[in-house]
Amino acid sequence: MSPDFDELVGTEATGAERAKLREAHDLLLRAGPPPELTPKLKAGPNPGVARMQHRRRAVKRRSLVLLAAALSVAVVFFAGYGVASHRGGSSSAGGTATTIQLKGTASAPDAQATLDVWQERDGNWPMTLSVKGLPKLPEHTYYEVYLVRDGRPWGSCGSFVVSNPSQALQLHLNAPYKLQKGDSWVVTRQTAGAEPGKTVLSPVAA
Amino acid sequence: MRKNSGDMEFALEAPRLRAVPSPDPAPTLDTSDAELLARVGEGDREAFELLYRRYVRPLFGLALRRLGDRGHAEDAVQEAFAAIWRSASTYRPERGAAGGWLYTVARNAIVDRLRRNGLATDAELPELVSSEPGPPERAEDSYVSVRVHRALEELQPREREVIELAYWSGLSQSEVADYLGLPLGTVKTRTRSGLARLASLLEGEDL
Repeated sequence: MSPDFDELVGTEATGAERAKLREAHDLLLRAGPPPELTPKLKAGPNPGVARMQHRRRAVKRRSLVLLAAALSVAVVFFAGYGVASHRGGSSSAGGTATTIQLKGTASAPDAQATLDVWQERDGNWPMTLSVKGLPKLPEHTYYEVYLVRDGRPWGSCGSFVVSNPSQALQLHLNAPYKLQKGDSWVVTRQTAGAEPGKTVLSPVAA
Repeated sequence: MRKNSGDMEFALEAPRLRAVPSPDPAPTLDTSDAELLARVGEGDREAFELLYRRYVRPLFGLALRRLGDRGHAEDAVQEAFAAIWRSASTYRPERGAAGGWLYTVARNAIVDRLRRNGLATDAELPELVSSEPGPPERAEDSYVSVRVHRALEELQPREREVIELAYWSGLSQSEVADYLGLPLGTVKTRTRSGLARLASLLEGEDL
């Protein structure tokens, strides 16, 4: 059953404003509901795309790589040394391991964020936090990103401040821990030398 | 003072890592689709991730509408984004809006998938949901869906939540308020502000 426009918007909006709302209402009805994503699509772009990126870069560097390889072979040949060891550079495609959508709590109702956790690199899990809507905090107060495990805060993954609340912010963070299934993250408001910190961003329920 | 259940209070003795803003001006949630596409064309992975987050649901909706199967639609969307990655450098802003370009690339990926499945010819791309209107109207409906679903992604989560419940759950405003544990006035306010924001987005967006 279609929702009733008058019930949705009441009688406060009139004239041009009401017409604008009506247009959005009609478009929503025409569009129908957006679908629920499959887990694979929710996880992020296909790693194959990342591999393509690596291939693209590889092609750009191909001539340099070939030249370097040729020089290496020549040096080894003429010096009469064998290669004692060779490290296979197995850099991963570096896709996201998980993406967490965060929404503002009552402490920061307008805030929202996306936390992309990238594949592990030597014990580190690089993360990118894209956040907007957090207010500027008083001096000596800052925001902190916490890993949450078993429903409890477990370890810090970095801290930041907001100097311009009207602008979105993108930050590079890191989780230097061995991540486990079920791990999640929150953003808290911390005051230097004081406790406790209040959660301002928490994961959107699946 | 009443504590909100979403608030968690704690203090930890943990080493703190100072976050360092990216040395390069990274794309943000406010970066336009056209700019993201331009960056993707230069191989910017972060821009691609952002573009993906904005369009994956609208394009999955489009694919599902055309293919009628979640598995095939999932494959088509992944192929569409691979095509976007490959051909982003060919996008020219002066020739049209970014959203329209993305829609076309996605639609072509879906047609390719249909052809591989033996479901489409060069002449027609069937719609599996709508059966009454003719092909032009059906194509326009699909485009409208992508535009509206893309605009929904721009709403504040709390606005999007009440809009989706109001329009597609079959709940009345009072029932939405009960479901979310919010005062009815708050639900009405969020619905109205969400609609207004949607109207502005659809009016000014570059799809």
